[in-house]
Amino acid sequence: MKIAVLLKQVPDTETKIRVKGDASGIESDGIKYIISPYDEFAIEEAIKTKEKSAPSEVIAVSLGPVRVVDAIRTALAMGADKGIHIDDCGLAMDSFVTAKVLANALKNENFDLIFTGKQAIDDDASQVSQMVAEFLNVPQLMLAEKFELGADKKSATIERSVGGGTKEVYTVEFPAVIGAEKGLNTPRYASLPGIMKAKTKPVTTLKASDLVGETKPKTTNVNFRLPPERAAGKVLQGEPEQLAQQLVKLLREEAKVI
Amino acid sequence: MEYNVNRRDVDFILKEQMHYEKLLELPAFKDYSLEMFDMVLDQALKFAQQEVAPINASSDKEGCQFDGKNVKAPKGFKELYQKFAENGFIGSDVPTTYGGQGLPFSVVMPMSEFFSGSSVAFMMYPGLTRGAAHLIETFASEELKNIYVQKMYSGQWGGTMGLTEPQAGSSVGDIKTIAEPQADGSYKIKGGKIFISSGDHDLTENIIHLVLARIPGDPEASTKGISLFVVPKIRVNKDGTLGEPNDVRTVNIEHKMGIKGSATCTLAFGDNDNCIGYLVGNRMAGMKQMFQMMNEARLLCGMQGLSIAGAAYESALAYAKVRVQGQGKTIVEWPDVRRMLMVQKATVEGLRALLYMTAFYEDMGKYHPDAEKREYYEGFADLLTPMCKSYGSDQGFRVTELAMQTYGGYGYISEYPVEQYMRDVKISSLYEGTNGIQALDLLGRKLSLRGGQVVQQFYQMIDEFVTANQNTPVLKNELSEFKKALDSVAQTAMSFMEMTGRGDFNYPMLSATNFLNMFSGVVIGYFLMEQAVIAQKN
Ligand SMILES: Cc1cc2nc3c(=O)[nH]c(=O)nc-3n(C[C@H](O)[C@H](O)[C@H](O)COP(=O)(O)OP(=O)(O)OC[C@H]3O[C@@H](n4cnc5c(N)ncnc54)[C@H](O)[C@@H]3O)c2cc1C
Repeated sequence: MKIAVLLKQVPDTETKIRVKGDASGIESDGIKYIISPYDEFAIEEAIKTKEKSAPSEVIAVSLGPVRVVDAIRTALAMGADKGIHIDDCGLAMDSFVTAKVLANALKNENFDLIFTGKQAIDDDASQVSQMVAEFLNVPQLMLAEKFELGADKKSATIERSVGGGTKEVYTVEFPAVIGAEKGLNTPRYASLPGIMKAKTKPVTTLKASDLVGETKPKTTNVNFRLPPERAAGKVLQGEPEQLAQQLVKLLREEAKVI
Repeated sequence: MEYNVNRRDVDFILKEQMHYEKLLELPAFKDYSLEMFDMVLDQALKFAQQEVAPINASSDKEGCQFDGKNVKAPKGFKELYQKFAENGFIGSDVPTTYGGQGLPFSVVMPMSEFFSGSSVAFMMYPGLTRGAAHLIETFASEELKNIYVQKMYSGQWGGTMGLTEPQAGSSVGDIKTIAEPQADGSYKIKGGKIFISSGDHDLTENIIHLVLARIPGDPEASTKGISLFVVPKIRVNKDGTLGEPNDVRTVNIEHKMGIKGSATCTLAFGDNDNCIGYLVGNRMAGMKQMFQMMNEARLLCGMQGLSIAGAAYESALAYAKVRVQGQGKTIVEWPDVRRMLMVQKATVEGLRALLYMTAFYEDMGKYHPDAEKREYYEGFADLLTPMCKSYGSDQGFRVTELAMQTYGGYGYISEYPVEQYMRDVKISSLYEGTNGIQALDLLGRKLSLRGGQVVQQFYQMIDEFVTANQNTPVLKNELSEFKKALDSVAQTAMSFMEMTGRGDFNYPMLSATNFLNMFSGVVIGYFLMEQAVIAQKN
């Protein structure tokens, strides 16, 4: 089986995000990057599926500047077999262009399965995986909490929550795009032997400029800003009766919630 | 329990002070790259925070259980041990021949900081296994190596180091355990050991004890007559499968102040005259072999001090930023709290530089292709090792005290982590050679290394640094003060050498610990000032 994992490198959740002076984006200085956590679930599921369906291979694909090769290497150290780095060539990208470039890179590779995260934790757009499936004309199932490979190794049963404790159960024939939700699995660590092995695994580089064709972004970011800082709380003082009065007044007039 | 570490400081030392890229020039590490080192550290920190730290508090409360026969480690340790082993962490710094990972010690030190800071009690198990396996790997016969080493690094079997006996603590030469030669070349071991860490537990199917014992007829009451033996808990057949139990009995476990998750055992060998051991390396070379492994073990022991101090400081800092007392201020805004936090920060960062840099000297001393360079760096590592062990553990303890003071009364309460940190870190000044013994080692052995040349070269390196930077505007005053301190260490060392030269040991021995502290303070001052110079240039 041939399995792809789509990875996005995102700022570590611990990183303090600073907006650029001209509000055109965020400062990339001093940011520590990690693999988007949902994509780690995707890597784990891809490797588990490979282990159940030998001979299979897992190919980790990431689009972005050179630094994203680190994310690919981590996937290789976890157990993926090959990497594809698509250099973004500094092109302007939105979800649409990203999906187009990825789909064009995957198009002729005849993947049976493409695992992705349900969304990336930086922009939380949750659009790329679905569009990739659309451009490749294959089914997609996002929010997968359970993935069970069929006995024929050509299909799978997938579970996801639809709110209120209800689960949806799907079967899907390959090829398909599966978007991982938290809880799908527990991602393994890149072990020390794995890190040593990863060094010799091949990573191919493609250029987004060769794959983008005529596609132009459909959305542009106009402006970035941080959420307003939370104002300090107010401490009321006095006797209980006065306090209650003051509170009701404030809730009505300032907070405007009653 | 949450574990936090100042990763920026870790990276700063590795990248800008140590310049860890220099390690890649050593043939031993040519298969590595900086990206790999970084990935290793990322994964180790993640593993420490997500897998190790969560069991720290519960294992302290639960402790180890002994039912009269077997010891049970706290909940979660068994699974964690296996995971830890699978990730290749047990033998991370040893050669790849028997399943080690061959990482430089300089990279293993920060890994070890993350792991020990997350649970020093848990780390005792893989730590002792590593030490025991590496001894076999370095000195034992091919046959013993092939049977034992790989299974230990892979997590299948554990390991221990058995030196201490009731009458033989600091004076290991007084051990009474004997090893009677047998016709087939093996030995019958008979005797009792106490305080054996990981002496029994349920993490692995077998435990391999490395036991110091004396072959009858060899010199008594001296370390010269001691030999080293491999003594498995369960005998191992030639094909590596397990055989009969080996007459090793767990007599008891200790109840103690800290590292409660680490089983400290009293072991009886050969109650029924049926305990078989195998000689490691040469007869009567036991202490020498142990000593060759000592540097790393002592550095890792000093690292326990730093790692817990680091965790305690981060915890106190986070608390100080949210605890509000008086005028609606967080306590971090009060000058006295800032004073405490600054002392903790300076101590932790200074110890970190000392320990990491000593590991770097150790790597250079072992693997540099140029013999002269090897000698130069090895000397530095030898000189600094007692300081790392002793100053690291003592100051580590002091930091936890200040961390508790920063918390106020809450620090004394078990719901908060610092009281456990304080209890856990205390052991590091006691075992692996008490800090008093470390001070004697510095004074008696290390100052006179290569006729005093090592300490002179080290002095020279620092002195050159002072000269080169004495006009740096912001450090001018500090450096001139520092120079006085440096010279007074040199003068003290000289007068000690002069006194011992004419046979007067009393005064130097009385002052050994004070001298170690004074010297360590100056070394740390040097590393911190070097950091200041680097930071200024950037
Ligand atoms: C939790 C724990 C785990 C341990 N794990 C192990 C283990 O795995 N394996 C093992 O073999 N041992 C282990 N030990 C034993 C430990 O290494 C010894 O306790 C240590 O060596 C000190 O010996 P002692 O306790 O007999 O103290 P003593 O040697 O009696 O020392 C008492 C005091 O006298 C001082 N002193 C002694 N001799 C001298 C001297 N010549 N000059 C100056 N001062 C001196 C010491 O510094 C100390 O302050 C462990 C101990 C503990 C508590």
